[in-house]
Amino acid sequence: MFPDGLGHRTPQELRRYADILVYIAAADGELVREEIAVIEAMMGRCMIHPEVRVDIRSGFEHPVPLEQSLVDLDPELIRFILRDAAFVAAIDGSYDPKEIRALKAIAKAGGVSKDVLSSLLDWVGAGWNWYQDFSEIL
Amino acid sequence: MGSMLPDTVHKLPREERFAYARLLAYMARIDDELTISEMAMFEQRLGAALLSPDQRDMIRDDLRNPPSLEDCMENLSGEAGRLALRDAVLMAAADGNVDEDERDALEDISEMLGLREDAVEQLLNWTVNGYKWMKEGFDILENLEE
Repeated sequence: MFPDGLGHRTPQELRRYADILVYIAAADGELVREEIAVIEAMMGRCMIHPEVRVDIRSGFEHPVPLEQSLVDLDPELIRFILRDAAFVAAIDGSYDPKEIRALKAIAKAGGVSKDVLSSLLDWVGAGWNWYQDFSEIL
Repeated sequence: MGSMLPDTVHKLPREERFAYARLLAYMARIDDELTISEMAMFEQRLGAALLSPDQRDMIRDDLRNPPSLEDCMENLSGEAGRLALRDAVLMAAADGNVDEDERDALEDISEMLGLREDAVEQLLNWTVNGYKWMKEGFDILENLEE
Protein backbone atom coordinates (compact mmCIF):
# COMPACT_ATOMS: atom_id res chain seq x y z
CA MET A 1 0.00 0.00 0.00
CA PHE A 2 2.71 2.49 0.96
CA PRO A 3 5.05 3.11 -1.96
CA ASP A 4 8.65 3.75 -0.95
CA GLY A 5 10.56 3.05 -4.15
CA LEU A 6 13.27 1.15 -2.29
CA GLY A 7 11.99 -2.42 -2.25
CA HIS A 8 14.01 -3.63 -5.23
CA ARG A 9 17.34 -2.04 -4.27
CA THR A 10 20.47 -4.09 -3.60
CA PRO A 11 22.05 -4.34 -0.14
CA GLN A 12 24.93 -2.18 -1.41
CA GLU A 13 22.55 0.52 -2.60
CA LEU A 14 20.65 0.43 0.68
CA ARG A 15 23.92 0.79 2.55
CA ARG A 16 24.65 3.99 0.59
CA TYR A 17 21.08 5.16 1.24
CA ALA A 18 21.55 4.73 4.99
CA ASP A 19 25.04 6.27 4.98
CA ILE A 20 23.64 9.40 3.35
CA LEU A 21 20.83 9.66 5.90
CA VAL A 22 23.38 9.35 8.69
CA TYR A 23 25.45 12.08 7.04
CA ILE A 24 22.40 14.35 7.00
CA ALA A 25 21.60 13.62 10.64
CA ALA A 26 25.16 14.43 11.66
CA ALA A 27 25.47 17.47 9.34
CA ASP A 28 24.56 20.06 11.97
CA GLY A 29 27.04 18.55 14.41
CA GLU A 30 24.33 17.67 16.88
CA LEU A 31 22.71 14.27 16.80
CA VAL A 32 19.38 14.17 18.63
CA ARG A 33 17.38 11.12 19.68
CA GLU A 34 14.70 11.91 17.10
CA GLU A 35 17.25 11.68 14.31
CA ILE A 36 18.56 8.36 15.56
CA ALA A 37 15.01 7.02 15.87
CA VAL A 38 14.08 8.03 12.32
CA ILE A 39 17.24 6.51 10.86
CA GLU A 40 16.70 3.29 12.81
CA ALA A 41 13.14 3.24 11.47
CA MET A 42 14.31 3.79 7.90
CA MET A 43 16.91 1.04 8.20
CA GLY A 44 14.17 -1.21 9.55
CA ARG A 45 11.81 -0.36 6.74
CA CYS A 46 14.44 -1.31 4.17
CA MET A 47 15.12 -4.45 6.19
CA ILE A 48 18.85 -3.78 6.20
CA HIS A 49 20.66 -6.71 7.81
CA PRO A 50 21.19 -6.20 11.56
CA GLU A 51 24.97 -6.62 11.27
CA VAL A 52 25.14 -4.01 8.51
CA ARG A 53 23.14 -1.67 10.71
CA VAL A 54 25.88 -1.91 13.34
CA ASP A 55 28.40 -0.68 10.75
CA ILE A 56 26.08 2.08 9.59
CA ARG A 57 25.65 3.30 13.18
CA SER A 58 29.39 3.91 13.38
CA GLY A 59 28.72 6.73 10.93
CA PHE A 60 27.00 8.67 13.71
CA GLU A 61 30.51 9.37 15.00
CA HIS A 62 32.33 9.45 11.67
CA PRO A 63 29.93 9.93 8.75
CA VAL A 64 30.91 8.75 5.29
CA PRO A 65 31.53 11.87 3.14
CA LEU A 66 28.46 12.70 1.09
CA GLU A 67 30.36 12.89 -2.20
CA GLN A 68 31.70 9.39 -1.63
CA SER A 69 28.23 7.96 -0.99
CA LEU A 70 26.75 9.63 -4.05
CA VAL A 71 29.35 8.37 -6.54
CA ASP A 72 27.82 6.33 -9.37
CA LEU A 73 24.40 6.08 -7.76
CA ASP A 74 21.35 5.66 -9.95
CA PRO A 75 19.63 9.10 -10.19
CA GLU A 76 16.25 7.52 -9.43
CA LEU A 77 17.61 6.14 -6.17
CA ILE A 78 19.14 9.52 -5.37
CA ARG A 79 15.68 11.09 -5.64
CA PHE A 80 14.27 8.67 -3.09
CA ILE A 81 17.27 9.35 -0.89
CA LEU A 82 16.57 13.06 -1.24
CA ARG A 83 12.97 12.52 -0.10
CA ASP A 84 14.02 10.62 3.02
CA ALA A 85 16.98 12.91 3.68
CA ALA A 86 14.53 15.83 3.77
CA PHE A 87 12.62 13.98 6.50
CA VAL A 88 15.74 13.33 8.52
CA ALA A 89 16.81 16.96 8.19
CA ALA A 90 13.40 18.20 9.33
CA ILE A 91 12.92 15.78 12.19
CA ASP A 92 14.41 18.07 14.83
CA GLY A 93 12.02 20.85 13.85
CA SER A 94 14.05 22.96 11.45
CA TYR A 95 16.47 22.84 8.54
CA ASP A 96 20.01 23.78 9.52
CA PRO A 97 22.02 25.62 6.80
CA LYS A 98 24.43 22.67 6.63
CA GLU A 99 21.51 20.31 6.14
CA ILE A 100 20.15 22.52 3.37
CA ARG A 101 23.54 22.54 1.67
CA ALA A 102 23.67 18.76 1.81
CA LEU A 103 20.11 18.46 0.48
CA LYS A 104 21.02 20.74 -2.42
CA ALA A 105 24.05 18.59 -3.19
CA ILE A 106 21.89 15.46 -3.23
CA ALA A 107 19.31 17.21 -5.41
CA LYS A 108 21.99 18.24 -7.89
CA ALA A 109 23.33 14.68 -8.06
CA GLY A 110 19.80 13.44 -8.72
CA GLY A 111 19.06 16.04 -11.39
CA VAL A 112 16.46 17.75 -9.22
CA SER A 113 15.70 21.44 -9.71
CA LYS A 114 15.59 23.94 -6.84
CA ASP A 115 11.87 24.51 -7.40
CA VAL A 116 11.09 20.85 -7.15
CA LEU A 117 13.28 20.52 -4.07
CA SER A 118 11.24 23.32 -2.57
CA SER A 119 8.03 21.43 -3.44
CA LEU A 120 9.44 18.36 -1.78
CA LEU A 121 10.16 20.28 1.42
CA ASP A 122 6.59 21.62 1.35
CA TRP A 123 5.37 18.09 0.93
CA VAL A 124 7.34 17.05 4.03
CA GLY A 125 5.54 19.81 5.93
CA ALA A 126 2.17 18.54 4.69
CA GLY A 127 3.08 15.11 6.04
CA TRP A 128 3.74 16.62 9.44
CA ASN A 129 0.21 18.02 9.42
CA TRP A 130 -1.27 14.70 8.42
CA TYR A 131 0.64 12.89 11.14
CA GLN A 132 -0.40 15.32 13.80
CA ASP A 133 -4.05 14.83 12.88
CA PHE A 134 -3.66 11.54 14.72
CA SER A 135 -3.64 13.35 18.05
CA GLU A 136 -7.10 14.75 17.28
CA ILE A 137 -8.46 11.27 16.59
CA LEU A 138 -7.34 9.65 19.84
CA MET B 1 5.05 3.03 5.00
CA GLY B 2 6.92 5.11 2.50
CA SER B 3 8.00 8.03 4.54
CA MET B 4 8.89 8.96 8.05
CA LEU B 5 7.27 11.47 10.29
CA PRO B 6 7.75 13.08 13.65
CA ASP B 7 7.00 10.49 16.25
CA THR B 8 6.88 10.08 20.00
CA VAL B 9 7.31 6.33 20.37
CA HIS B 10 11.00 6.72 21.22
CA LYS B 11 10.06 8.99 24.13
CA LEU B 12 8.08 6.29 25.93
CA PRO B 13 9.67 4.51 28.90
CA ARG B 14 11.68 1.48 27.80
CA GLU B 15 9.20 -1.07 29.21
CA GLU B 16 6.34 0.60 27.37
CA ARG B 17 8.28 0.63 24.09
CA PHE B 18 8.76 -3.09 24.54
CA ALA B 19 5.05 -3.61 25.22
CA TYR B 20 4.24 -1.47 22.18
CA ALA B 21 6.44 -3.66 19.98
CA ARG B 22 4.94 -6.86 21.40
CA LEU B 23 1.51 -5.70 20.38
CA LEU B 24 2.75 -5.09 16.84
CA ALA B 25 4.25 -8.61 16.82
CA TYR B 26 0.88 -9.94 17.87
CA MET B 27 -0.80 -8.01 15.06
CA ALA B 28 1.74 -9.20 12.52
CA ARG B 29 0.78 -12.81 13.19
CA ILE B 30 -3.00 -12.33 13.32
CA ASP B 31 -3.76 -14.04 10.04
CA ASP B 32 -0.62 -16.21 9.95
CA GLU B 33 0.29 -14.39 6.78
CA LEU B 34 2.99 -11.76 7.05
CA THR B 35 3.42 -9.89 3.79
CA ILE B 36 6.62 -8.09 2.84
CA SER B 37 4.85 -4.74 3.30
CA GLU B 38 3.69 -5.69 6.78
CA MET B 39 7.13 -6.98 7.69
CA ALA B 40 8.76 -3.77 6.44
CA MET B 41 6.32 -1.73 8.50
CA PHE B 42 6.93 -3.95 11.54
CA GLU B 43 10.70 -3.56 11.23
CA GLN B 44 10.29 0.16 10.72
CA ARG B 45 8.33 0.54 13.94
CA LEU B 46 10.78 -1.70 15.79
CA GLY B 47 13.55 0.65 14.67
CA ALA B 48 11.60 3.75 15.70
CA ALA B 49 11.07 2.28 19.17
CA LEU B 50 14.85 2.21 19.76
CA LEU B 51 14.72 -1.17 21.45
CA SER B 52 17.88 -2.79 22.77
CA PRO B 53 19.31 -5.69 20.75
CA ASP B 54 18.06 -8.12 23.42
CA GLN B 55 14.57 -6.67 23.29
CA ARG B 56 14.58 -6.93 19.49
CA ASP B 57 15.51 -10.59 19.75
CA MET B 58 12.63 -11.16 22.17
CA ILE B 59 10.22 -9.38 19.85
CA ARG B 60 11.37 -11.44 16.88
CA ASP B 61 10.80 -14.52 19.03
CA ASP B 62 7.28 -13.24 19.65
CA LEU B 63 6.82 -13.29 15.88
CA ARG B 64 7.58 -17.02 15.91
CA ASN B 65 5.52 -17.69 19.05
CA PRO B 66 2.91 -14.96 19.22
CA PRO B 67 1.82 -13.87 22.72
CA SER B 68 -1.86 -13.59 23.62
CA LEU B 69 -3.53 -10.23 23.21
CA GLU B 70 -4.11 -10.08 26.97
CA ASP B 71 -0.37 -10.58 27.62
CA CYS B 72 0.45 -7.81 25.15
CA MET B 73 -1.97 -5.37 26.72
CA GLU B 74 -0.80 -5.98 30.26
CA ASN B 75 1.92 -3.30 30.27
CA LEU B 76 0.51 -0.83 27.81
CA SER B 77 -0.31 2.54 29.32
CA GLY B 78 -2.69 5.04 27.77
CA GLU B 79 -0.23 6.79 25.45
CA ALA B 80 1.75 3.68 24.54
CA GLY B 81 -1.52 1.88 23.90
CA ARG B 82 -2.82 4.60 21.61
CA LEU B 83 0.43 4.71 19.66
CA ALA B 84 0.42 0.92 19.44
CA LEU B 85 -3.14 0.93 18.08
CA ARG B 86 -2.25 3.64 15.56
CA ASP B 87 0.76 1.69 14.32
CA ALA B 88 -1.16 -1.58 14.37
CA VAL B 89 -3.62 0.06 11.98
CA LEU B 90 -0.78 1.32 9.76
CA MET B 91 0.77 -2.13 9.75
CA ALA B 92 -2.48 -3.96 9.06
CA ALA B 93 -3.14 -1.60 6.14
CA ALA B 94 0.41 -1.75 4.78
CA ASP B 95 -0.46 -4.36 2.17
CA GLY B 96 -3.52 -2.41 1.03
CA ASN B 97 -6.05 -4.58 2.77
CA VAL B 98 -7.30 -4.96 6.34
CA ASP B 99 -8.92 -8.37 6.59
CA GLU B 100 -11.68 -9.38 8.97
CA ASP B 101 -9.39 -10.98 11.58
CA GLU B 102 -7.17 -7.92 11.65
CA ARG B 103 -10.15 -5.60 11.93
CA ASP B 104 -11.57 -7.65 14.81
CA ALA B 105 -8.23 -7.54 16.63
CA LEU B 106 -7.96 -3.78 16.16
CA GLU B 107 -11.47 -3.34 17.57
CA ASP B 108 -10.56 -5.56 20.55
CA ILE B 109 -7.45 -3.48 21.25
CA SER B 110 -9.42 -0.27 21.01
CA GLU B 111 -12.02 -1.61 23.42
CA MET B 112 -9.35 -2.78 25.89
CA LEU B 113 -7.84 0.70 25.78
CA GLY B 114 -11.25 2.20 26.47
CA LEU B 115 -11.25 4.28 23.30
CA ARG B 116 -14.33 5.61 21.61
CA GLU B 117 -16.35 3.25 19.44
CA ASP B 118 -15.34 4.72 16.10
CA ALA B 119 -11.60 4.98 16.92
CA VAL B 120 -10.50 2.23 14.54
CA GLU B 121 -12.66 3.59 11.74
CA GLN B 122 -11.17 7.04 12.27
CA LEU B 123 -7.65 5.65 12.26
CA LEU B 124 -8.33 3.74 9.06
CA ASN B 125 -9.56 6.94 7.42
CA TRP B 126 -6.47 8.73 8.71
CA THR B 127 -4.32 5.96 7.24
CA VAL B 128 -5.99 6.35 3.85
CA ASN B 129 -5.25 10.08 3.94
CA GLY B 130 -1.65 9.27 4.76
CA TYR B 131 -1.48 6.93 1.84
CA LYS B 132 -2.73 9.70 -0.45
CA TRP B 133 -0.10 12.06 0.90
CA MET B 134 2.67 9.50 0.41
CA LYS B 135 1.49 8.87 -3.11
CA GLU B 136 1.77 12.62 -3.77
CA GLY B 137 5.38 12.46 -2.66
CA PHE B 138 5.94 9.55 -4.99
CA ASP B 139 4.37 11.53 -7.81
CA ILE B 140 6.64 14.53 -7.12
CA LEU B 141 9.62 12.19 -7.38
CA GLU B 142 8.40 11.04 -10.76
CA ASN B 143 8.64 14.63 -12.03
CA LEU B 144 11.82 15.78 -10.39
CA GLU B 145 14.14 15.99 -13.37
CA GLU B 146 15.31 19.43 -14.47
